[in-house]
Amino acid sequence: MKAKSFERGILSNYDYKKSTNKVGLAFVIVVILIMVGSMVYPILSTLFNGLKANTEVNSFPPRFLPSEWHFDNYDTGWNYIDLTQFLGNTLAIFLGNMIVTVVVLGLAAFSLSKLNVPFRKGIYFFFMITLFIPPSTYIIPNFLNLRDLGLLNSYWAFWLPAGASAFFLLLLKNFFDDIHHEMFEAARIDGASEWGSFIRIALPLSIPIFSTLAIFVFSSAWNEWFWPSLVMQSDDTYPLATAIYKYVIQARRLDLNIRFAILTMVMLPPIVVFLLFQKYIMRGLQLGGVKG
Amino acid sequence: MKQQVAMGRSPVVKIGRKPGRWKKHLWGYLFLVPAAVIFVLFLWVPISKGFFYSFYHIDFVKGNDFVGFDNYKTVFKDADVWIAIKNSLYYMFLGLVMGFWVPILFAIIISEMRRFQGFVRIAAYLPNVLPAVVLYGLWRWFYDPVGPINGALTGLGTSQIAFLSDKSWSMISIVFMESWQQFGSAMLIYLAAMLSIPKDWYEAAEIDGAGIFRRIWHITLPSIRGLLMLLLVMQLISTSQGFQSQLALLDGGPNKATLTYALLIIKYATTRLDYGVASALGVLMFLVLGGLALLQFRLNNKGGN
Repeated sequence: MKAKSFERGILSNYDYKKSTNKVGLAFVIVVILIMVGSMVYPILSTLFNGLKANTEVNSFPPRFLPSEWHFDNYDTGWNYIDLTQFLGNTLAIFLGNMIVTVVVLGLAAFSLSKLNVPFRKGIYFFFMITLFIPPSTYIIPNFLNLRDLGLLNSYWAFWLPAGASAFFLLLLKNFFDDIHHEMFEAARIDGASEWGSFIRIALPLSIPIFSTLAIFVFSSAWNEWFWPSLVMQSDDTYPLATAIYKYVIQARRLDLNIRFAILTMVMLPPIVVFLLFQKYIMRGLQLGGVKG
Repeated sequence: MKQQVAMGRSPVVKIGRKPGRWKKHLWGYLFLVPAAVIFVLFLWVPISKGFFYSFYHIDFVKGNDFVGFDNYKTVFKDADVWIAIKNSLYYMFLGLVMGFWVPILFAIIISEMRRFQGFVRIAAYLPNVLPAVVLYGLWRWFYDPVGPINGALTGLGTSQIAFLSDKSWSMISIVFMESWQQFGSAMLIYLAAMLSIPKDWYEAAEIDGAGIFRRIWHITLPSIRGLLMLLLVMQLISTSQGFQSQLALLDGGPNKATLTYALLIIKYATTRLDYGVASALGVLMFLVLGGLALLQFRLNNKGGN
C-alpha cells in the first residue's frame, strides 16, 4: 500500500490526534495483536509440536516451545507412510486437472468471448447455471455416474470433471473480454486461423489468469480429502490429503509428535506457495470474491 | 433437467442448416464442444441421474429396481432426518452468530491501519491455506481435555470443557474451528470493497460533524451492503451443505449431535449402502436450496458481476 492512500480513511489525522480517541486506539491495537496471535499461534504450535519428544507433547499443561529439539521426528514421519507415493499422486492429479482446465475451459472461454458465435448468450447460460446447483445435492449420483462410466479408481475421475467448472470458465471469459478485439482482427487479416490466434495470442496473454487458476487448482488438489476417498480405492491412487486422513488423522496408535511432524510437512508447501505467490493469490481472491 | 441439456445444444443443429454461417462459426463451435461434452457428462448427467435414482433401489450386483416413492417414504419415516435438519439449521445459525460479523469488524479496523497492514492481512489469511486434514489434526489436539485451551482454563482456575465429546459444545467447537480458518478470506473481500470507498465522503461527513461510529454506520456499511448480502447468502448455501468437519472430527457424534443433513446423505451411501435413499435426500435438498440459489443468482447479477 502506498503511503498516499492513507491521507485519510474513516479516520482523519485530526481524529488520531484527539486525546479521547487514544484509549480506543490502544484498545484496537490490542485487538489486532490478539487476532494476529490467534491466527499464528496454532500454526506455530503445529510446527513446534512436531519437534518435541512425545512425552512433552502429552504433558499438561502444554508448553509452546520444545525443551529439546527432535528433528528426527521428520525422518520417522516421512517413513511412517509412503509420503512420496501420495505426493506423486497429488501432483499427477494437479497436473492433469490443470491441463484440462487450460485446454477445455480456455478454448470455450475464448470462443464465447472472441469468436462471436450465434446464441453465445444461451450457451454461456447453459454453462453458468451450474454454478447455482449446490454440489452436495448430487454428490452421490455423481459418484454413481463415475462408477457407471467406469472411471472409479482412475485419475480420469478427477481430470475430466476438472473441465466442468463454471467458476473457472467465468474467470477466463472475463479475462478474455478485457483483451482488445483489434489484436485478433489483425491476426485474422494476417491469415491466422482461430486455432492459431488462440495458441499464439490468447494463451500467452492469459498467463496471469492461468497462474491464478493454477493456485486454485493446486489448493483443491492438495486439500480435497473426502471426494478422493470415495472415488479412489487403493493406496496406489490416494492423493496426499486422503492418505493423511486415513492413516494419520484416523490413526489410533500414532505418537502425537510424529503426527504433528507429518502434519507440518503437509502444511508447509501450501504456506510456502502462499508466501511466494501472495500477489496472485490476493488478486485471485478479488476476482473470485464471489465464489461459492 | 434433460430439457435444459437439449436447449443448450439446439443451436448447433439449427446452424447446420445454413451452410455459410455454419462454416464461418465452425471453429467457434468446435472450441465449445469439449467443454459442452464435459459439462453434460459430469454435471448435467449426474444431476438428472439424481432425480432418476431417487425412484430406484440401487444394487450394484443384482441391478436397479424401480420402487416408486419408497425411498421418499423411508426419508420421511426416518427420525434421523429430522435430527439432521435441526442440526444443519443449528450449524447455519452458529455460523452466522459466530463467524459472519467478525470479518466485517476486522476489515473496518484493518482498513484504517497505516502501518503493518500488509503483514496483518497475510497473518489473517494464513489459516486459509492450511489443508483441511491439518486443520482437523491441529484442532483435535487444541480441543483435547489435555490440550492448550483446557490448559489455559485450568490456569485461570475454571473447570475444563470437553469441547468435542460434550453434546452441547461439539457443534460450537466445529463452527469455531471453521470460522477461525475462513475468517481471512471474507475479511480480505470486505477490505477491498472498503478501500475503494471514496475518501471525500468521509471528509464531507466529518465536516458535517459525524462521529467515527456514525461514519461507519452511514457510509462504510451502506457502501458494502450488496457484498454483505451476497456473502451472507453464500455462507448460508455453503453451511447448509457442510459435513466434512463433522465427519472428520466426530463422525456425526456424540449421540448424533453433529449429524448434519449432508452428512446423513453421505452416511446413507457409505455405511448403509442405500444409494436410492441418498439420492432422494439429495433431491429434497436440491428443491429447498433452489430458492436460496435463485436469490444468490439475483444478488450476483445486481452486484454487477
